Amino acid sequence: MNFLFTISIRNLFRQRRRSILLGSAIAIGTAVLVLANAFAHGISEVLFNEIVSYVSGHVSVSFTKGGNANNQVFHDGARIREIINKRVPNVKRVDEAIGVFARAIGNAKADNVILVGMDPSGDGVDEKEAEKLAKNFKELEGHFADLADTTVENPVCLAQEKAKTLNVKLHDVVRVRFTDIRGQTQAARLTIVCIMKPSNVFMAAPVYLHIKTVKRLLGYSSNDVPQLYLSIENPRKDAKRFADSLHAGLNPPLAVIDGQLSVHGSGVEVTLLSLRTDSASLALVDSAMKFSARTAADSVNPKKAVIISESLSKITGLQPDDTCTISYEGKFGDEPGGARLIVTAIAAAGSGIDGQVVLVNERDFYKTFYDVWPKSTVAVNGPFRPDTEIGIYKAFGGEWLLAPRSRTTRDVMKLYREIAQKGWKAIVVDVGSMYETASMVLNLEYALNMITAACVMVLFFIILIGVVNTLRMTIRERTREIGTIRAIGMQCVDVRNSFLIETGLLALISALSGTALAFVTMFGLSQLTFKTDANPLGMLLVDGHIFFAPTVLAVCFFIMLIVGIAVVTAYFPARHAAKLSAAEALRHFE
Amino acid sequence: MDIIDIKGLKKNYALGSTTVHALRGVDLTIAKGDFMSIIGPSGSGKTTLLNVIGCIDNATEGSVKVSGREITKLNDREITSMRLHHIGFIFQTFNLIPVLDTLENVEFPLLLMRKLSKQDIRKRAEKLIEEVGLREYIKHRPAELSGGQRQRVAIARALVTNPDIVLADEPTANLDSVTGEQILNLMKEMNRIENTTFIFSTHDANVLKYARSVVKIRDGLIVKEA
Repeated sequence: MNFLFTISIRNLFRQRRRSILLGSAIAIGTAVLVLANAFAHGISEVLFNEIVSYVSGHVSVSFTKGGNANNQVFHDGARIREIINKRVPNVKRVDEAIGVFARAIGNAKADNVILVGMDPSGDGVDEKEAEKLAKNFKELEGHFADLADTTVENPVCLAQEKAKTLNVKLHDVVRVRFTDIRGQTQAARLTIVCIMKPSNVFMAAPVYLHIKTVKRLLGYSSNDVPQLYLSIENPRKDAKRFADSLHAGLNPPLAVIDGQLSVHGSGVEVTLLSLRTDSASLALVDSAMKFSARTAADSVNPKKAVIISESLSKITGLQPDDTCTISYEGKFGDEPGGARLIVTAIAAAGSGIDGQVVLVNERDFYKTFYDVWPKSTVAVNGPFRPDTEIGIYKAFGGEWLLAPRSRTTRDVMKLYREIAQKGWKAIVVDVGSMYETASMVLNLEYALNMITAACVMVLFFIILIGVVNTLRMTIRERTREIGTIRAIGMQCVDVRNSFLIETGLLALISALSGTALAFVTMFGLSQLTFKTDANPLGMLLVDGHIFFAPTVLAVCFFIMLIVGIAVVTAYFPARHAAKLSAAEALRHFE
Repeated sequence: MDIIDIKGLKKNYALGSTTVHALRGVDLTIAKGDFMSIIGPSGSGKTTLLNVIGCIDNATEGSVKVSGREITKLNDREITSMRLHHIGFIFQTFNLIPVLDTLENVEFPLLLMRKLSKQDIRKRAEKLIEEVGLREYIKHRPAELSGGQRQRVAIARALVTNPDIVLADEPTANLDSVTGEQILNLMKEMNRIENTTFIFSTHDANVLKYARSVVKIRDGLIVKEA
């Protein structure tokens, strides 16, 4: 085999000009391929590691209360964290995340800003994370750590560009106006403790406050959580799997409020259940329940329904249009929960709700439920627990509403439109991975990969045409030589292999040269600095530089692909050469 | 003992729409160790006869036995192996491999055989190069050698596998008369030393004096054996 290599290499250098021309074409093609791939991978790295992880986390859990996308709150944060710990124990960090639009007024200048909460020294921020943070937010004046300074009024950090826009300096005060989670307009004074230069233009738009400050300003209580962003070790591999697992774990239990129903001075233990008021649930109520009495208003507007069982009616004497009050023990704090209800209907016995139960329309139920989160849960015994087999069970609401898993950003947007339009009363819990929340951004990576694929196709044709033409000429020129070596005793297969080795070597040397060229070009291009202040494409740059991320695996794959294409392309001309009759080849004259 | 036994050999070529009858029924036997010349004018069928004997071309009809084996019934792999192990070739235009030097050209058939060790191959090639008088040109490529020197390399290459037969198609045609004589003397010397059968074609009457036996061919038929 060695002598085949020797002959092949020498033949390669013998036709120097031809080899250089074809080799250059393959090398340039390879360089473009490696470059395009490294660029696409670089962008994807920036998107995943720098942008997506900040904007939406690798996995996110979002809450929407009352159908209002700005009201992102869940009142039993510990419960959600417990589920996260149980379902995805390998999660690196769980961050609370808030982003609220606000109008900011600086020194005679105003601008729209996003108030973003962050905790630069929170749990799980290791040395590596801190380094990354320091790299992504270069402190120009002041210190990021001062966001946690409680002696300063609402410390804030903002980008140099934003400071310029608002005409403010370090220690100046910025006034902001925003809407809190109760829908009320609030105003606050923010003190600038740090002016920084973000590595990415995308991160220059918000102003950064400590998460605790933002939560306080927006009216979150200590048990409330805003959105939760989960950072995981290997997001590309695990993000979707973790999100699916977490989604399965967040299936809501039936919402129950066990409390004391008071009427005419006497009390009785009852369980309140939420009656969903979507059309399917209302149809279910109509078909599965019989009423012994109901108000005219209840028939007209079932969305205001408060239905009690016949047995409860007998115990308490409650009739339609009667008013009763409910009081119950809250899960957090000493303050009890309560509500005033007007009975609209009495369910006839045999409807599956025979017992001390009140079905309350979801608007009134959740208003009460979320106002003071009850201590009772469906898992513990109470005055009434419905049989899961009864016809109307599906019409009872859960402690929250779990949104189905979205597959794309478009699906996510559709979901939030639906939440806003339908005005779901239960808190909607949505679990997303970066693949869905950033699918539109990731389409960019897809487009770049398409460009890489197009490069492969172009390269394929360059190799195809180049190799076939070169080999045809070579075979024509070397026909007598082929005749000679066949006459001496070289087998067909060795003749064929010598041509394949020659082509493979040319492709390999060219591909390696092309890779080297690509790396030199990458180095050169990454030295250029682009000014991207007003260009949204600047988000794809790191510190104003193009970021390339070539991988050993991809480079090896491309080299093997190119050598493979060249050898496969050379196979047929080489076989043709090998099958030449020795006598005819020896008779050949150019 | 006959090393070649040919009976009723016919070889036709298709040349466009016409058929050329290159050999029209040749009967010939050649003894081992012979130094035979095939003589005839251009187009008489000398090269075709050598090609068929050398297993380069196949017969249209008839029987050809080389070293006791009927070669007309062999497949491509067997016939290539036959050429490698039993036959050596010397061409009119030398046909050396241009990218290999003298030593490598001579070693080449032995490398194809994949039988001997690298050291044995080198030893055998160097011995033959020495015998053809090219010791100091061992690292020269064909382009750096004269016509006579190239033909010497070709002779060494033909003999390196210790073949039963060496076929030479007009080996002196591209050489001046002095060099031609030297080559023929060398071939004769090799024939004597190695006892290898040499068959060479020529249309030069002066070359005949070197041959131990002569076959005259005309229009695809043997007209005289001496």
